[in-house]
Amino acid sequence: MISRSWRIVCRRYSQTVTFRTTESSPSQHNEKQIGLFYSIKPDLCKQLFAHGGLPKSFSKQTKTFTETAIMVRQPALDLIDCIKATDFNKPVIRYVMYGEKGSGKSLTMAHLLHYAHEEGYLIIHVPWVSEFLRRVTRHKEMSNSQTHEGFVDLPLDVAAWLLHFKTQNQALLKNTELKISKSYVWSKRETTEAGAPLSQLVEHGINRVKYACDVLDALVYEIKQLSDNKQCKTFVAIDGYNGFFYPLTRLHTPTKKKVKPEEVTLTTSFLELTKNDWTNGVVVVTADQLALPDDNQESYLPRYLLYKKGFELLDPFVPIEVGRYSDKEFLSCASYYRDRLWLRGPPEIETELKFTSAGNPYKFMEQCAPL
Amino acid sequence: MALQFGVKHLFPVSKCLVKNILLKNVCKYSSKSTPTTTHALQDITDWETLNKKKKTSKAMKAYLERAKEHDEFMKKQEFEFNIGKRHLANMMGEDPETFTQKDVDRAIEYLFPSGIYDPAARPLMKPPEEVFPARKAAEFDEAGRPHHFLFYTGKPNFFKLLYDGAELIQQAYDFQDKVTRKKAVPDPNGELNIGNSAWLTKDQLEQVLVENITDLEYDNFKLLMERLVSLPYSYRHKEFIEKYQKPLATQKFALEIPKPSYDDEGRAFVTTYECLRKKARGDVTIRVPGTGKITINGKDLTYFEDIQPREQVMFPLFFTNMQQSVDVECNIEGGGPTGQSGAIRWGIAWGLRSFVDKHMLEKMQVAGLLTRDHRRRERKKPGQPGARKKPTWKRR
Repeated sequence: MISRSWRIVCRRYSQTVTFRTTESSPSQHNEKQIGLFYSIKPDLCKQLFAHGGLPKSFSKQTKTFTETAIMVRQPALDLIDCIKATDFNKPVIRYVMYGEKGSGKSLTMAHLLHYAHEEGYLIIHVPWVSEFLRRVTRHKEMSNSQTHEGFVDLPLDVAAWLLHFKTQNQALLKNTELKISKSYVWSKRETTEAGAPLSQLVEHGINRVKYACDVLDALVYEIKQLSDNKQCKTFVAIDGYNGFFYPLTRLHTPTKKKVKPEEVTLTTSFLELTKNDWTNGVVVVTADQLALPDDNQESYLPRYLLYKKGFELLDPFVPIEVGRYSDKEFLSCASYYRDRLWLRGPPEIETELKFTSAGNPYKFMEQCAPL
Repeated sequence: MALQFGVKHLFPVSKCLVKNILLKNVCKYSSKSTPTTTHALQDITDWETLNKKKKTSKAMKAYLERAKEHDEFMKKQEFEFNIGKRHLANMMGEDPETFTQKDVDRAIEYLFPSGIYDPAARPLMKPPEEVFPARKAAEFDEAGRPHHFLFYTGKPNFFKLLYDGAELIQQAYDFQDKVTRKKAVPDPNGELNIGNSAWLTKDQLEQVLVENITDLEYDNFKLLMERLVSLPYSYRHKEFIEKYQKPLATQKFALEIPKPSYDDEGRAFVTTYECLRKKARGDVTIRVPGTGKITINGKDLTYFEDIQPREQVMFPLFFTNMQQSVDVECNIEGGGPTGQSGAIRWGIAWGLRSFVDKHMLEKMQVAGLLTRDHRRRERKKPGQPGARKKPTWKRR
């Protein structure tokens, strides 16, 4: 008995456990840890990514492997270094992440969110833009907006997003006293006074779904004010940003008229956020081919994906390319899968898989599935 | 003991004497034509007179006539063929003396072009031995006595073959016994190598023996030959065994492998044109001191979105372990992913022949990398929903 457990322990330590790192705080990650996996604690994971944020296939994988492990890669480290070196008195710097399908943009985003959370940023995270604009299941709850003429609202979606915002920033909203500057009159009986905490505004939006979109507008304005006044630093993360600029959405009004993204209130709110007229924050955006319908997915470069309008909006931005796995990263990923008993077989499989998946992380994951 | 022997010897002699006496008595009592007995006896002993009196039966006569006719016919055909060959040579403007069978075939193909699919149905001019089926020469002489000692089995050549094989096996056993008695060891150099040859097929054997053979008999023949070969001293009967063996063709390639040419940077490269599979057409270039880069129509391996075409492309490289040492550059058009990837795979394998040793070449051939896949989409026939699918079959 003892000898058996001793043997297992020996085996565990004698295996070259080179794909893991025990460093679980992103702010401490540096170049020595490129290609290594670090795991996030489950409750933190739930807090940050409860309403999205991780790709679906990845979240299924986390359930199989019973842990959330993200690989430390060069683009994420570059971004973290840039953020550490920013001067927060200047207007916000916008970063655009781009890459092929399945090269790891959303996961890099997740890594950055974890970092932002640790550093105490106020996180505004839009998990996937197309969900608002293109995922029409049966009937999208839409209503004509009251404050903005001719605009369309998505009350339920925005309410869900406000809940997501609340869970992500639980700690910040409770601890610090972030107060709103103006008072907002919702109806004859409901107002939110100036000086009330931000959390109250958010609560109101969640409870009163009818006014959710207006709450969103107000929230955006308030957060910009607070950042300018140096009361909190903000981290804006939007995945699939180019979805805002595609000429059509899948929504249509009750009169069967197709709706353009600019006519939806939430696009305007989030576009406000990404303008660089405020300070003390960071904006990270991804341009993804999957946000567009299949016909327009020719290239993965930002200029093509963002169209002219988006490009002009975002114009001075820092592009960051998220590429395929390098050899070292590939080997580390393969050994991680082996450790989790996801990949079995002789070592030659690894070279073959590297070839067939052409180094693409998503394809690699897919191809290991039947093995 | 001696006395006993003597008595034994005596007995048979006495028996004989008794028998003769009895016979004579029997003759005296049973035969009626007593005056002709001496004549009859004389006739029995005289072979030539017997021969003269006996007539050949009609069937025999007819058979002999037919055999003679066939021989004459064959001679005439041979004569006509030779004359025809000379005429053909004159027509083609070539020297009649040095006009070989190959030249004849070429001339016929030129003079009588045919679009028929089956080669056996096209016009041909071959020596009469190949055209007319072989017949056995007269199997028995005028008296009706067959030449072959196994004639009455119906398949004399086949059974003679088995008989010879059995005799050789017995000889091999005897030789083995002799050698073990002298306490020697079989010569290991004399081992027969039958790895690269196969036994004649049933049809070929039928052609050689000019007789029809059943499947059972063919299996027996194979068993016999396997048995003979498995003995340690079978090498002594090598000629017999080789007569019924057919060598498998593996030496075809050595003449056809192209030599690599050298480009500007001094790297060896080989281009294979005409890579086809289904409807895809293209060409593949392989450069030898390379890093494992693959370029298809200017794009990376991601040109194929699915795993299966990618695996097809990588298979020859991984099989020959040259995935890191070769650069591949290809242009294809037409067809879909399967067709294109199949064409590239063949092209890579065909090009790799110049950079790979003989042993690996054989392995590649066995793996089927070097065969051109000639399957095309089958035509849909009228009255059926598909090429093979038929409408629901109803018994009545």
